[in-house]
Amino acid sequence: MTGSRIAAIIRKDFREFSRNQFFVFITLLVLVTYVAVFWFLPDSVDETVRIGVSNSVLSTDVGGVTESGTAGFALEIYASEEELQTAVEEGRDGIVAGIAFPPNFFESTAAGETPTVRLLVPAGLPPEIQLLLEGAVSEIAFGIAGVAPPVDPITEAVILGADRAGNQISLREQMLPMILIMVLMVETFALSSLVAIEVQQRTVVAVLATPVRIVDFLAAKGIFGVGLALSEVVLLGLLIGAFAVNAPAVFVILLLGAVLVTGFGMIAGSYGHDFVGTLLASMLFMIPLMIPAFGALFPGSSPTWVKVLPTYGLVQALIDVTADGKSWSQIAPSLLLLAAWCLAAFAAGAFILRRRVATL
Amino acid sequence: MTTSSNPAPALAINVAGVRFAYGDTFAVDDVSFSVPPGEILGFLGPNGAGKSTTIKMLTGQLNPDAGTIEILGMNMPGQRESIQARLGVCFEEKNLYLSMTGRENLVFFARLFGVRDFEPEPLMERAGLSTRLDDRVSEYSKGMRQRLMMARALINTPDVLLLDEPTDGLDPVSAIGIRDLIRREADRGAAVVLTTHDMHEADELSDRVAFINQGTILTIDTPDNLKLAHGQRSVRIRTRDGDGVGEQVIPLDEAGAEDRIKDAVSAEGLMTIHTEEATLEDIFVEYAGRGLAG
Repeated sequence: MTGSRIAAIIRKDFREFSRNQFFVFITLLVLVTYVAVFWFLPDSVDETVRIGVSNSVLSTDVGGVTESGTAGFALEIYASEEELQTAVEEGRDGIVAGIAFPPNFFESTAAGETPTVRLLVPAGLPPEIQLLLEGAVSEIAFGIAGVAPPVDPITEAVILGADRAGNQISLREQMLPMILIMVLMVETFALSSLVAIEVQQRTVVAVLATPVRIVDFLAAKGIFGVGLALSEVVLLGLLIGAFAVNAPAVFVILLLGAVLVTGFGMIAGSYGHDFVGTLLASMLFMIPLMIPAFGALFPGSSPTWVKVLPTYGLVQALIDVTADGKSWSQIAPSLLLLAAWCLAAFAAGAFILRRRVATL
Repeated sequence: MTTSSNPAPALAINVAGVRFAYGDTFAVDDVSFSVPPGEILGFLGPNGAGKSTTIKMLTGQLNPDAGTIEILGMNMPGQRESIQARLGVCFEEKNLYLSMTGRENLVFFARLFGVRDFEPEPLMERAGLSTRLDDRVSEYSKGMRQRLMMARALINTPDVLLLDEPTDGLDPVSAIGIRDLIRREADRGAAVVLTTHDMHEADELSDRVAFINQGTILTIDTPDNLKLAHGQRSVRIRTRDGDGVGEQVIPLDEAGAEDRIKDAVSAEGLMTIHTEEATLEDIFVEYAGRGLAG
């Protein structure tokens, strides 16, 4: 009996959802837009750092440092410093910085003099690249002068973790978790709106005056919310190839994500007094929940506190599986963290909605 | 339709010493009343008197802080689901699913009640909505929504009907239709509790009325008994007197009252005859020291 009542509420919720033109429009828009954006993003990474040089004398390799295409460097030669400066300013030819050698650089260096070499760097260039360029200039100078550097230690690179050289994570891959989470967030709003309408119009009071128990009602909302979020995110995942690696793991991660956002949807819906109120309450949750996904776009940029956000485990698990191809055992910590947050969010959502309904 | 194997109790509703407070404020204080099957009990009182709180406790929305509520021989809230299966409730607010049609609303609630092979047509016919069965409720007028609310309350052929302001704000024609539905349910044997602050509705519909004010029941009796006990037994007769109007009040308990009335009726120029019985509002004011408005 309870099952048929829950099923009746779910069917009713689906009917209401499908008749709400705004929800349907947003759902379709999000699907189409995100799929389009995803496939337009570059799926490879150009690992070569292009440097502009204003002295053609140096177009040949000097000391092996500037050999085109090796060590991730490529040179673009410009006839004059002015031309080089314009190219750097405009980001022309993909160059990230320029080295303006004086016309007499070769002779001066060979004569043991100290010529001035100008580095032309755009404002946003990471300081590490600038240091690298300074080092390159020194290497060139030593090569021309025929003098070995004062100290020349042997360096040996040890790659910790996955060696991504030649196999960088593309922007498309980086965006994948964010796109999936964005869709889950949109469904948070849809569910919270449905809950809010039920509360605002007090239809829940009529439902609970029948033999339906509050747990039946909460179960129905939970199942509908999870089903709605999961079906859309799985559809999107299929369209953007999110299931290409370890599909069962991706499905479980998305299922937990759907449970997580359903919990937050119930909380937001309980507090929404009208459309704008529901939207604001939803945004209150959506913005912090998006932060780990944004952090994934800039690896290493996220501060430690991001790890306490409920979606951190979701994003981490998605990246681990889709980008790094990690196994179940390797993503277990992230999954456990996510599952704990799911439990907490869903329990909090059910508790708050229950209290809200009791006050009607 | 829902049926019950329980024998019909003598009292459909039996409320004893019920109390409920919102924080420190008592909304209902030591309320007791009972309703046998087939009776309509009207709760008459101003806004905030405790009528809706009483109904909410009967529906199981609120649990009383003290006292007992028995409905159909079962304890509320202890046997909430069993009671709710046999309750019909019409809420004060029009809590219908607006994006769904009238038919869909009724079918949905029939599923919640577990009513098998439910067909909404006869119910919508009774509510005068048979031509609007497949229109969305958002397109219904206020009166139509109220009638759909009543139809929804009757889905499970309830043994107890709880109606919170069922005709509030309706046009006279819609109100008459709703009252007719309520009367027929009582005739079928349902115990009906209705709240209203409309004294005419209470007078017209109720077998007994309960005056409630500040969370306390002041009195419960039939409208006739209340009017007899508190009204004046007299007749006011107005006759044409030349260019003016003559008026006399004849106390019915006085000697010769019958002859005086006969004389007045047979005399030329009779304009109007009115009994001088008190209205329920007059009696309510007498009990509560305030009117029903507000």
